[in-house]
Amino acid sequence: MKKLKKKTLAKLIASLALVLVLAAGSTSVSHADAPYKTYTVDGYGSVTETQTAYLPYETITKIGTEALTAPTDFTLLKDGTMYILDSGAGRVVVSDAQCNLITTIGEGVIVGARGMYVTEDKTVYVADRDGGQILVFDSEGTLIHTYKKPTEAMYGETQDFLPLKIVVNSSGTMYVICESNTNGIVEISPVEDGTFLGYFGTNATKANIWTIIWRAVLTDAQRAKMMSNLPATPDNMAIDEKGVIYTITRGEKLEAVKRLNIAGVNMMEIERYPEVPAAVASGNHDNVFVATTTGFIYEYNNEGDLLFMFGGSDDGKQRIGLSTKVEAIQIGTDDKIYVLDSEKAQIQVYEPTEFTNYLHQALYLFSKGRYEESKEPLSEILEMNSLFTYANMAMGKALYKEGDYEGALKYAKLSKDMDGYSDAFWEIRNVWLKHNLTAMVLIILAFVLMIQVIKHVDKKKHILDKPRAVLNRFREKKLVSELRYGFYFIRHPIDGCYGIKREGRVSLYSTNILFALTIAFYVINKYFCGFLTKTVREGKFDILSDVGLILIAAVLVVGCNYLMCTINDGEGKLRHIYSSFVYSFVPYLILMPVVFVLSHIVSNNEIFFVQFGTFAITVWVAVLLFVSIQEINNYTVKETIKIIFLTLFTILIVCLLIFIIYVLWSQVFDFIQSICGEVVYKIGS
Amino acid sequence: MAHRIFRKTITTLMATLLALEIFFGNFPGSFIKANAASEINGHTLIAENAGYRLYMQEDNLSLIVESKETGTYMESAVSFDDGNNNNTWLGAMQSAVVITMINGGDDSKQADLVNDDVSRQITYTDNGFSAKLYWTKYKFGMTLNVALEEDGVVASVDDDSIVEDGTSYCLGTISLYPYMGNSYMDEKEGYLLVPDGNGALIYLDDKEGRFKSGFSSMIYGSDIGFDESDTTTLLYDKYNTIKDSEQIIAPVYGIAHTEDKIAYLAVIEEGEGRAQIECVPNGVSVNYNRAYAKFICRKTYTQPTSNNSTSGSIHTYESERSHSDLKVRFLFLDGENANYSGMASAYRDYLLKTGGMKCVDTAYNTRVDFLGTERESWLFSTTPVVMTTVDDIYGIYDDLETAGVKDILSVYKGWQDGGLYNLPISKYKADSKIGGTKALTGLIRDAEERGISLYLYNDGRTINPDEQNATFNVVKKINKRRYEEKTYMDVYENFLYLIPDRSDYMLSKFLKSYTSKTSGNLALAGVTDTLFSYTYSGKTYSRYDTEDTYENMVAKIDESTNLIMEQPFAYLWKNTEAFLDMPLYTSSYMYEDESVPFLSMVLKGVIPVYSEYVNFEANKQEFFLKLVETGTYPSFYITKESSSELIYTNSCDIYSSEYTTYRNTIIDYTEQLKKLWEVTENAYMVSHEITGTGVTKVTYSNGVKIYVNYSSTEVNIDGLAVSPMSYVVEK
Repeated sequence: MKKLKKKTLAKLIASLALVLVLAAGSTSVSHADAPYKTYTVDGYGSVTETQTAYLPYETITKIGTEALTAPTDFTLLKDGTMYILDSGAGRVVVSDAQCNLITTIGEGVIVGARGMYVTEDKTVYVADRDGGQILVFDSEGTLIHTYKKPTEAMYGETQDFLPLKIVVNSSGTMYVICESNTNGIVEISPVEDGTFLGYFGTNATKANIWTIIWRAVLTDAQRAKMMSNLPATPDNMAIDEKGVIYTITRGEKLEAVKRLNIAGVNMMEIERYPEVPAAVASGNHDNVFVATTTGFIYEYNNEGDLLFMFGGSDDGKQRIGLSTKVEAIQIGTDDKIYVLDSEKAQIQVYEPTEFTNYLHQALYLFSKGRYEESKEPLSEILEMNSLFTYANMAMGKALYKEGDYEGALKYAKLSKDMDGYSDAFWEIRNVWLKHNLTAMVLIILAFVLMIQVIKHVDKKKHILDKPRAVLNRFREKKLVSELRYGFYFIRHPIDGCYGIKREGRVSLYSTNILFALTIAFYVINKYFCGFLTKTVREGKFDILSDVGLILIAAVLVVGCNYLMCTINDGEGKLRHIYSSFVYSFVPYLILMPVVFVLSHIVSNNEIFFVQFGTFAITVWVAVLLFVSIQEINNYTVKETIKIIFLTLFTILIVCLLIFIIYVLWSQVFDFIQSICGEVVYKIGS
Repeated sequence: MAHRIFRKTITTLMATLLALEIFFGNFPGSFIKANAASEINGHTLIAENAGYRLYMQEDNLSLIVESKETGTYMESAVSFDDGNNNNTWLGAMQSAVVITMINGGDDSKQADLVNDDVSRQITYTDNGFSAKLYWTKYKFGMTLNVALEEDGVVASVDDDSIVEDGTSYCLGTISLYPYMGNSYMDEKEGYLLVPDGNGALIYLDDKEGRFKSGFSSMIYGSDIGFDESDTTTLLYDKYNTIKDSEQIIAPVYGIAHTEDKIAYLAVIEEGEGRAQIECVPNGVSVNYNRAYAKFICRKTYTQPTSNNSTSGSIHTYESERSHSDLKVRFLFLDGENANYSGMASAYRDYLLKTGGMKCVDTAYNTRVDFLGTERESWLFSTTPVVMTTVDDIYGIYDDLETAGVKDILSVYKGWQDGGLYNLPISKYKADSKIGGTKALTGLIRDAEERGISLYLYNDGRTINPDEQNATFNVVKKINKRRYEEKTYMDVYENFLYLIPDRSDYMLSKFLKSYTSKTSGNLALAGVTDTLFSYTYSGKTYSRYDTEDTYENMVAKIDESTNLIMEQPFAYLWKNTEAFLDMPLYTSSYMYEDESVPFLSMVLKGVIPVYSEYVNFEANKQEFFLKLVETGTYPSFYITKESSSELIYTNSCDIYSSEYTTYRNTIIDYTEQLKKLWEVTENAYMVSHEITGTGVTKVTYSNGVKIYVNYSSTEVNIDGLAVSPMSYVVEK
């Protein structure tokens, strides 16, 4: 209402005195609900929705009375001064924080610019692509330097100089992305009117297995004809206060966003990469923002964990906060996000919500090592969203520093923070050992002593004869001896196979029992092993499909192997192949329980034991399988290898066949169903 | 230009004189009142009542409505041409009736009273006129009736007066007085009231041509019977990040000229089931601010010519016009009422008078909803994910009661056999995993004894083709292709809609078994916030048909149940005992300048209004203040188990719902908001003011004032200090 009154007064003055009142700038502020959803990623990589992280705050469409024509780059200084590179008009528009026009720079000098950088002392660097030059203006807007193509031979004589984007570090060294220059970011020192220092942060070329194979096969001449495999040039970059450079590259995936130290080494690993990134900016809390051309905005912490992604493309309905073509992103000192949209010719400002402010507070305190204090904002976040992964992880770490290991363990588990879990677990185990070591040693001693005593007594009085006889009788039972044959088989596979093939040492019954046990062990290990070795989400079970998959795999392997053996002069019968295969898995049955128990008592420091155990099982089983195929069918080594490949091929063919049959049948089924549907429909109507 | 400045000067002078008059008191025989003209801008006086004079001009049947109290007026035709408008636009700006016609595949041609040859027979009545119109070239006609009634002007066209004799041109849309209350650029002080979400304002300032389009939206939501072009960009080709726009819940719009102290609220009384509201600021095509309703008679659509969608289609239009009377009531307001608070009061009075809603018990309750069971994929089928059982709810009620929270209303979702999305529900059978039917019946009764109303949630509209046989009775679009609602989720990818008769059948079947065992607490959704055209068995049904069926069905259900509804459209308000999921914001269109709680102001003190879930709000404190400002009761979506259990279900967007997380918030909110309710009990909200300081001031009919400070600094207002992000109640 006040706004209206003010305008009324202005209007009276205007009409009576015939004085035109010019509005200062054009912004619209509105507190509304965001038209977009916000997502985050949990520890298992699943994308989940979360509270709105940023709300649209205001839209800047004009600076003073100047409308923007086709802005392509934008810099926001700490004091709120905005520099907008208005490429359409070939100038830089300078505005204060309230969108009042301060000045314009570079009219008539800039030819066709795409990028710009402004230092905190208000020196303006313009990357003038069409002019093939870098223009430097002082804070008054006077042109003070022009850097043309470097003359150094190292730059490359045939290489064009078409600067697209530029950043400048505190010592005045310029980092320039040039169009069609795939060597990397051009690094130019301001000394002696521009000295080329070299290339920086070159992306790696991508070579997939096929290109490698092709290259090995082709002749030099052919290779030269192949499409050259050049590294992708970064598309945009940003620099933070410490001089760390962030780059983004379109078309890349896990390396789409990089945080490069002074040596050009990437220090950030992202998992959720942005598609078609357009711009990058560093935040105030060691966080990084990336905006995509399509209007999605990503926020990462300095390790590359995704905190938020939100925004989206405007579908023509003109909802505030959605973009059409994003060109630049900047972060204000108050954590507001400024996004420049060239097609809408506007800057959209987003304001962090309470939720995000807590998160930033936590990020800040955490990075300063004030874990105790960071607990407060963290618990506020968790109060709103108890599954927010970053908060759980940070809470776990904070509690760990405090010595609350149980709590740390709980939060590390929730966020699937393996290192945090391992550290907390190590401490808990340590404490436990401290308390129980003496007791444990005593128990073991007592146990050993007891056995010795019993043995001694037995020697003199034969008290164990009776149980021993029972045991022996049990061992001699057919099934038991068949099962016990497994121990023999794994130590003497060649003789073992002979036993299976000729002596009938195992039965189908015993094989089935072992097979069932293997499956059971697999399932138990998969769902109940220690947290650090677990591959599935806590509390999630899908046992039936596990069993189903193993059964299908077993039928395929055994069946296909049998088919191949019979047509390749193999001697094995189906039953023998099946038995030998199952018996080859006995090492798994024997060692898995050990690995299983180990997985519950090791931390990351000793996880090697578990890995080694798994490796030993794998090798042992593989050897046994190989020997089984060879011995049961009476093959040579060469024949065995051949048969293994043939089996794999057959499996592939069978899968394909099943798929084709499935597709055909589903067509027939659809056809019948639609005929029935139509008949029913006709009758119904 | 000179003309414009002159006009502006005159207007401003008049406003100044008016201001002087108000300032120096009400001297008898006021200067302006004495000069009541019998003609304004070529319009002659044809009717007069206690508050207003109605002027009319025969050429284009345009109107001027003058307030007797303030002497200011609003025009239905643009009287000043800025020279930038072609004849078609001028026709639209001047005519009483503006029609778009369909000619072959083209639906953009306009017919009006200025550019076309129209035969007319005007009959004057006591309070207005009736004009029989016939477009000789296009061979259609209709009778326009205009009457000045006690509360304003009513313009209507009876369905049986519409004739269509030609074959080449047929009626597409009809607008009545589309430029009623128009203004040029920023010549008037004021705003357009947009029925977006709870309510929004577009100020009548100079928009400098920033916007390509204005607000344009179907009343009661878009029509799924017609394809809409889908240009959504998905994140990772999977996640739809854009939220749906808010639907128009009540068929109203308004224009206020605050400086002139004259305003109107237009209520679309008839034909609102298939009409569009347009609120367009200056700079969009022409430089005039306008707001109007566009009644849709026919629409064009794309008819695929084979089952395979890629092999071709034809562009055609509906052969039969949809039938309904068309009626817009302009409720005029002047003096101190000429603002959105006045509009809200006028609409409330109107609804209460016409039976559009009735006063029900508005006692305070905190809404605590529960989710029973959901399903996740498992092998070739699905497996239950149990979130909150009957026993869990007992536990939560006990816990809340010990903490002093006794005023609870609950909606139980996903209680039915087969989980939340085993739809439709045809009988009262609870999922065995939550404890079974018997336990649920017991819970509803026990809760009632404690004074808690537990409502069972039933979406009467949706059918899940993966769980139930959906061969028959599902909605087909106008092009006879089945309508599928995409969920963008993993377990159930598509839902279908039941035809209204089937919804009716399913709901009554469910209620038969439900009401025999309990007192019938029902939370109805789906049918309450959707309206569509459809075809079934070769016949085409319009939105009016759907509206009729739903209206009768809900009235019937209301007789045997305690009925509350999720975001009910205005035509169902008379049957609901509570309004669930009231949007507190808007769809955030760029051209909207301010969001105002229009609907909350209409409903406060008449029907209890519950917010959308607090769980998913990022600005917790701001949202709480919004509840305070709008008098809305809070809602929580609660599960006993952690919401991480839901990650593989269709409810994976419920990322925060565990009871332990929300326990303290529920207790805190209840304590504060109940106190607030006690001082505003049964009172209406009569005034709502956004002061420039970040403080919003709300006045109730019992004199209580609430000041809500959204800013980050302490604000002194009316002698009260309001702390930042806080509120003060003055009794």
